Amino acid sequence: MIRSAVPLVSSREMLHKPHSALILVGHGSTVNPDSSAPTHAHARALRERGSFAEVVSCFWKEEPSMREVLRTVDSDDIYVVPAFISEGYFTQTVIPRELGLDGPLTTIGSRTVRYCEPVGSHPRMTEVLLHRAREVAPGIPESETSLLIVGHGTNLNDNSALAAKEQARLLGERTGYAAVLNTYMEEEPLISKWAELTETPHVVVVPFFIADGLHSYQDIPVLLGIESEPVDPASQRTVFRRNPFRVRGRELYYASAIGTEPLLADLILDQVAAFDRRHPPCTPGA
Amino acid sequence: MHPRSLTEQLGDWIAEGRNRIGEILILRRAGGWRLTHREDAHQKELAVATDPHAALAIARLDPSGQWRPLRAAPTLRRGWALDLADLAVVRLALEFFYPGALGNYAAWREQRLQPTPMRETLDRQTGMYRITQLLTDAQAGELVPEACASASRCMKTILWDLRPGEPIRELPSDKRDPGATGPDTIPLLCSEACNLLVAAARETVKRSRA
Repeated sequence: MIRSAVPLVSSREMLHKPHSALILVGHGSTVNPDSSAPTHAHARALRERGSFAEVVSCFWKEEPSMREVLRTVDSDDIYVVPAFISEGYFTQTVIPRELGLDGPLTTIGSRTVRYCEPVGSHPRMTEVLLHRAREVAPGIPESETSLLIVGHGTNLNDNSALAAKEQARLLGERTGYAAVLNTYMEEEPLISKWAELTETPHVVVVPFFIADGLHSYQDIPVLLGIESEPVDPASQRTVFRRNPFRVRGRELYYASAIGTEPLLADLILDQVAAFDRRHPPCTPGA
Repeated sequence: MHPRSLTEQLGDWIAEGRNRIGEILILRRAGGWRLTHREDAHQKELAVATDPHAALAIARLDPSGQWRPLRAAPTLRRGWALDLADLAVVRLALEFFYPGALGNYAAWREQRLQPTPMRETLDRQTGMYRITQLLTDAQAGELVPEACASASRCMKTILWDLRPGEPIRELPSDKRDPGATGPDTIPLLCSEACNLLVAAARETVKRSRA
């Protein structure tokens, strides 16, 4: 059983790359100001740690674009980590195409671009989800609580639905919750049926998304019955939500999107360390 | 690696007299640098921040509180100043105000910036944006000057053509001239039609087929 999610100790503590750049790739949005916020926040946290010479972000729907970002860094040695929740269409097709990558290691002129796995694929995401679930409902007995992981579902070539299912399975095995279920916005089991899917007096819902954007902040609360209609984006709202919500005779706890968790900065560094284990850099410390 | 870092190149450009970028003034001051809105150069009462990350928050919303997905829109809010210790943090703050702008300008100065023709951008679209391939040349000629108008929409200089060697003639000539903003300015350069223009192209095609 997992006791605590906090002490995430691993090789990243040794990570020191004073001649390398780290590029985080986020989705971003042309309509929602909160979509890119977690990627910017993780970039800032990593910049302040000083493990890399440079830490920058780029986006699919915002600036700088992936086609511009390589021009914004000085380093010849570049690590790219997608700030995405799972492997899928973006990590396998869009990002390599836009950045001009032909595999995990790509040489572009004098530069080497090292393409790491997305942050959401990190094995410790399970612990981060648990950390978030416990944080949002402190002191609530897990034996009287159902934990619901909610993903998007029905996306073309997106493995996030499968990833959410796997996380729910692992959490079910490793924790004391009465039940742990994967649910989706647009496919069965539907998050809108949460009250029928669960039997416990307490229900904790953690969105398996990177940002508190359109889906996790505006759409899912309506599906849960917390809001009667979609509200303004999180950052433009003056009334804040407060857990728990008393809905349909239960106590419902709704967390922020898992991608906003500050621990993800650690997992990003871990993805770099994991890449180096698979593809050791030629020059030690380079 | 480039012989001069982007931070050093920024210093070179400022030394040339280029202390303006977009709506921002770059001012030398005792102990470092100040960034401020160009309309606030003589304004006394400014909210002063010293962390370059404050630029992210300043650039995020326009004066009416609306999201600014395009940072080169002439809608930067006023009333702030960023006092920064050195050019490395000036560069970082400018990266938040005008993402990619310094790298694009550095590449353009060395003739390394290769613009992507608009047709190539549209032809590569998939899913709901595939329809933009049907945008006619005449529609592009009408759409681009309006959707990219410097005074109201986007301050960038357009470097791309409709097709290679075939510029959008309806654009005012200064919109295509990186030198038009003057010798005191680091120009904001557009090397490829952005998401917002592609979305606008989709609306144009849909309207014309309705």
